[in-house]
Amino acid sequence: MNDKQSIPVVKCLDLTKTYIQGSIEVHALSHVNFEAYTGEFICLSGPSGSGKSTLLNMIGGLDTPSSGEVYIDGEEIDELNKSDLADMRLNKIGFVFQAYNLIPVLTAQENIEMVMQMQGVSKHQRNRISLDILKEVGLEGLEKRKPTELSGGQQQRVAVARAIASKPSLVLADEPTANLDSDTANKLIDLMLEMNKQHSTTFIISTHDPMIMRRAKTLIKLHDGKIAEVINQE
Amino acid sequence: MSTNWRFAWRNIWRHPRRTILTMLAIAFGAALLVFSIGFQLGQYDLMIKGSVSIYEGLIQIQKKGYLDEPKVRSSINNIQLLAKKLRNKTSIDSITARANGFALISSEKRSYGTLITGVEPAYEKLVSIIPGTINEGQYLSSDSAREMVIGESLARNLQIKIGDELTLMGNGRDGSIAATIMPVTGIYKSGSKELDRNLVQIPIQTFQEIFSMGSHGHAIVFYHDNVKNDFAFKQQLNQLITDRKDLVTLSWDELQPGIKQMIELDYSSGWLMYLVLVAIITFSILNTFLMSVLERTREFGIMLALGYKPFNIGKLVLLEAFLLTIFALILGTLIGLAINLYFYHNGLTFEGMEEVASMYNMPSTLYPQISFESILIGPLVIFIFTIISAIYPAMKIRKLQPVEAMRKI
Amino acid sequence: MTNSLSLISSLAWRNLWRNKRRTGVILFAMVLGVWAMIVTASFMRGMAIQALDDTINNLTGHIQIHQKKYLDDPVIENSFLSNDETLLTSLAHTDIVSWSKRLRVPAVISSERDTFGITLIGIDPKSEARLSFLLSAIYQGNYFSDNSDKGIIIGKKLAEDLETKLGRRVVIMSQDKKNELADRGYRITGIYDTPQEGMETAFAFMTYNSIEKLLKTSQLSSEIAIITRSLDQVPATLSRLKAANPDLDIQSWDTLQPFTKLIEEMYTDFQYVWHLIVFMAMSFGIINTLLMTIFERTREFGLFQALGLKPRFILAQVWIEAIFMLAIALVLGNLVSWLTVLSTGDGIDVSAFAQGMEMAQLSNIIPFIIVREDLLLANIIVILLGLLTSLYPAWRASRLVPANAITRV
Repeated sequence: MNDKQSIPVVKCLDLTKTYIQGSIEVHALSHVNFEAYTGEFICLSGPSGSGKSTLLNMIGGLDTPSSGEVYIDGEEIDELNKSDLADMRLNKIGFVFQAYNLIPVLTAQENIEMVMQMQGVSKHQRNRISLDILKEVGLEGLEKRKPTELSGGQQQRVAVARAIASKPSLVLADEPTANLDSDTANKLIDLMLEMNKQHSTTFIISTHDPMIMRRAKTLIKLHDGKIAEVINQE
Repeated sequence: MSTNWRFAWRNIWRHPRRTILTMLAIAFGAALLVFSIGFQLGQYDLMIKGSVSIYEGLIQIQKKGYLDEPKVRSSINNIQLLAKKLRNKTSIDSITARANGFALISSEKRSYGTLITGVEPAYEKLVSIIPGTINEGQYLSSDSAREMVIGESLARNLQIKIGDELTLMGNGRDGSIAATIMPVTGIYKSGSKELDRNLVQIPIQTFQEIFSMGSHGHAIVFYHDNVKNDFAFKQQLNQLITDRKDLVTLSWDELQPGIKQMIELDYSSGWLMYLVLVAIITFSILNTFLMSVLERTREFGIMLALGYKPFNIGKLVLLEAFLLTIFALILGTLIGLAINLYFYHNGLTFEGMEEVASMYNMPSTLYPQISFESILIGPLVIFIFTIISAIYPAMKIRKLQPVEAMRKI
Repeated sequence: MTNSLSLISSLAWRNLWRNKRRTGVILFAMVLGVWAMIVTASFMRGMAIQALDDTINNLTGHIQIHQKKYLDDPVIENSFLSNDETLLTSLAHTDIVSWSKRLRVPAVISSERDTFGITLIGIDPKSEARLSFLLSAIYQGNYFSDNSDKGIIIGKKLAEDLETKLGRRVVIMSQDKKNELADRGYRITGIYDTPQEGMETAFAFMTYNSIEKLLKTSQLSSEIAIITRSLDQVPATLSRLKAANPDLDIQSWDTLQPFTKLIEEMYTDFQYVWHLIVFMAMSFGIINTLLMTIFERTREFGLFQALGLKPRFILAQVWIEAIFMLAIALVLGNLVSWLTVLSTGDGIDVSAFAQGMEMAQLSNIIPFIIVREDLLLANIIVILLGLLTSLYPAWRASRLVPANAITRV
């Protein structure tokens, strides 16, 4: 893809996921091969049931494949026990979900600091970083608010802030703009692209949103659990 | 209507683990109560029967005032005649006459103050177990024989054996000294240390002669196996002595108030504990009922929008609670009943029971009572508590507004 | 690690109060449970301690000395010399606070109106005053002024039964040392009143001088009662006395009145069972409530895992939430129990059940006494079992597969 590093951040080899729903066998993913390198901004698109969320879950170690392997930074995550897997997610990956990104009993700032706290970052530093990031995402002054006191767009921005505050090498976002109006959605993607440029953070976003599909550097179309098309849009 | 039942039933099983836990709580409470109450009531039955059959009888007829101040002069005249008349009129043979007194009994080596009773041997056998517990010699042979029967401890303390003579000295009814010498013809072992040490029995006419009683005695003692029927028997006897204004009929709880009081105290303190337990269980499961309503707010909103009335939804929720409770109660009651049935046939003993039991004239094996009362009263109380607690969440439904409800996720 | 722990603890605390009603309900059940455990324990402990105090006060003392055959056959033959050198030396030890000798014989008491059997007890007024209840129970008249006092002290009920009163004369008849009948008249100089009517009719007291004159004995005693410095001291003193006086029968209160000790043991056993039952009743609610909160927060737990929180910290989060609940319940429960016990003052009055209490060898006011061991037992059971039962839901939470958790609606 590009000549940055020879070891890809993400590598999926012959990934297959089948599960039973009721009495039907569903083939969510079929023999998918996929690679992503540092600094890439990839959009996974496709109709419902095409397997984008499933692929994202596999990459993030949130679910296990029926067959095939996933490598993060060259390490096969299938071999990791639950504890090491959690560590991997803690240190290397950031998540943004479609909804329910935030812990309701924590304030915006605490939500952002959460991951850093688990990483062992000192209180003073956490405080500084989280306030800086809140400013960066345009939410200065809202740090003491609980999620119920924030709008949908604001919540998502906090989620993105949290995802990058812990300095992961990879951010996975599942339909991050699904519940937002177009203006807010645009601003969110601006933010992500900025992070991508500044810190070479790899972004993999699964979405229906045509705006994101247009703006991503790479567009991967999925269909029926297989990769149908890869388009380089840089 | 039946669709509602089916709907309610399916709703309960939406969260199997939660429902099972709730049912287990109720069943546990029910089984425990059935077991416990069964044994409590069984124990009381044994206590009452034991105390009543050993000597005091189920009912006694005495001169008014004799119970509080047992004086020799507080006597009933023509007592044997009266006992006979009562036997005839009631067709019950377990009615006997007694005369009571106090005397100093002396053997060659020792003297003791004892209670002396004059009895009608033929009928005393039907009223008290003592005649049946003779283990040396024989019981008294007639109403006027010169024979004496004493308890084992007394015999041991007096250091005498069958055939030895004892001196008897006391105060007669007319104030004179009553004294005589008689042989011991029987030794009994009643199981009550009190009686074995203190009670001497002689034939009633012999007593009357020694103590210058004439035809007087002190008590007519009535016994019947059907201990629970005591009130009816008491009425019956009362009717038969309406002409004797100087006499009173007393039932076992008036004769031995201690026993009834202990039973009442034990039963009420038992219920206090049961109620606390039931309250704990009820609060434990209140949350289940609450949750199952609150998490279906959205669903109820849709139902309201579709035209259901809040009242009907409330009914549905109560129906769910009802089904869950009844099921669990039946399960728990059956388990408790099974356990009780087992012990009904096999009895229950545990360490230390012997001494305690002998104090209350009980056998040392406990049997539970199996009756409607003992089986149903516990579960009934649980049922009431549970249904009341289900009313609170059901009431919350009445305040639901459809749109608001559906907005909740 | 500590960072994560403090994060989790603050999360656990905040989550506890997320649904105040639900937390409130289960806390109520738990506080009720803790209260039930502690209050019933304190009531039973009160009964046991009361029974023990009564036993020791009512003539028994901590240790009693008799002649070897006396307890089986309490007659004058079976007495011992109380002026024996060895005996007196062994009694003059510092671990013995006071001791008193008595001469007890069966006797008959007669007034003009009636006759009853009693136990006559000759006492040494000064030493007896330090030991037993008699001095403080005097209701009319006087306690003995000294050993030369010629009067007799009888119980209130006995005086009523004999239809006599203070100042009148009664005749005492008993068997003297030579096996001959001895009888004398005495003036009633004191009447005593105790809650146990049985005692009042059983025991009459005179000075040692008087009884020795009556029975023509000298320096003979039926028993010596001893009070040691403390209850714990008893076994040591007992073995010392036994070693010094091998020919005498020396026993402590628990073998003399095994019933008291038996009751205490039964209560302790019962406590364990009751605590377990109460806890089981609570546990259903605890588990269910925790499971429900987990169910509600499935998505959140999925999020945690996605963010990198290790499974064991998810378990810890739920477990710590349960620990907070237990802690609050224990603090409140202990507090409310303590207040309840405080409010009962001297105890509850059960004199309505007086005769029943007498049968059970208990007095009419039962105090509530919280003893450290009982308190510890209740709290420890709740903590241990609470930790165990909440482990299950906590474990379940940690087993959630993140993907499933997040996508569950």
